[in-house]
Amino acid sequence: MDFIIGGAYQGKLDYAVKKHALSSQDIYTCNENEHVVFGKRCINAIQEFTLYCVHNSLDAVSVFKANKEKWQNSVLICEDIFCGVVPLGADMRAWREMTGRLCAYLSEKAGSVERLFCGLEQKLK
Amino acid sequence: MNILISGGCKNGKTGFAQSVAVKLSPDGNRIYVATMIPYDEEDRKRIDLHIADRADLGFSTLETGRNISSCLNAGKNNTFLVDSVTALLLNEMFPETHSGEADENAAQRCVDGLLKITREAENAVFVTDYIYSDAVRYDSFTENYRKSLAYIDRNLAAACDTVIELCAGRVIFHKGGIDL
Repeated sequence: MDFIIGGAYQGKLDYAVKKHALSSQDIYTCNENEHVVFGKRCINAIQEFTLYCVHNSLDAVSVFKANKEKWQNSVLICEDIFCGVVPLGADMRAWREMTGRLCAYLSEKAGSVERLFCGLEQKLK
Repeated sequence: MNILISGGCKNGKTGFAQSVAVKLSPDGNRIYVATMIPYDEEDRKRIDLHIADRADLGFSTLETGRNISSCLNAGKNNTFLVDSVTALLLNEMFPETHSGEADENAAQRCVDGLLKITREAENAVFVTDYIYSDAVRYDSFTENYRKSLAYIDRNLAAACDTVIELCAGRVIFHKGGIDL
């Protein structure tokens, strides 16, 4: 599994598409109203799935652990939403913390970890 | 030589950018291109602090809140320190006679002007802000602003020889390098 993180609009998906020659059919983009669907070569915007988990009292790390064989050869992309100030709202706080924990788990399992910064990749693992 | 400096707020980006610009211009031809347009007393105080901070560094100051490439009229053989891209975008989004709506061509105008500087100036150092990694659902205006600034940042990063992130005053090279 290759893991790509970085801030909003830093070029994470563009980089993944180029590096792994992905077509639009290869990409599943998470949203906050839907449980993640595993199986595609690339799972994008995982931070949206962690927000879904917060809304639905699920633990994103447990969900990923339980489905490891379905994503272990995929490219996973997540926004690093956990660098700013601790938010005042309880939901946003839970979202931030769960996304941070999930990224730590995925980084550990990943064969490679890259961070995108202003469109430039930085190898972390 | 063109250098982009980014990072979080209050990380010492301006001070660092000034020292880089001084090193790039041993001939002393250096211009501080100030993009912030003061709107109130708080802004003026910040600007006064910045002016005092660079008083002994030999910069001449050009206040250029919009139409950024017009700074080249001061002479292309200068080292330009553009501080900051963040303020420039805000000014371009809200032209002087604005209607309250953000100008949707602002980001592209900034890119065109800034890339012209990278092509024509002797040296340029650009300061921008990294505002992309927090757990907040912003209103559409703020989200559009973040998206636009990121678009400018990515274009500048591609055009610059060196891209630096400052983190707690420490330097991370994302592209190229310079002697510090």
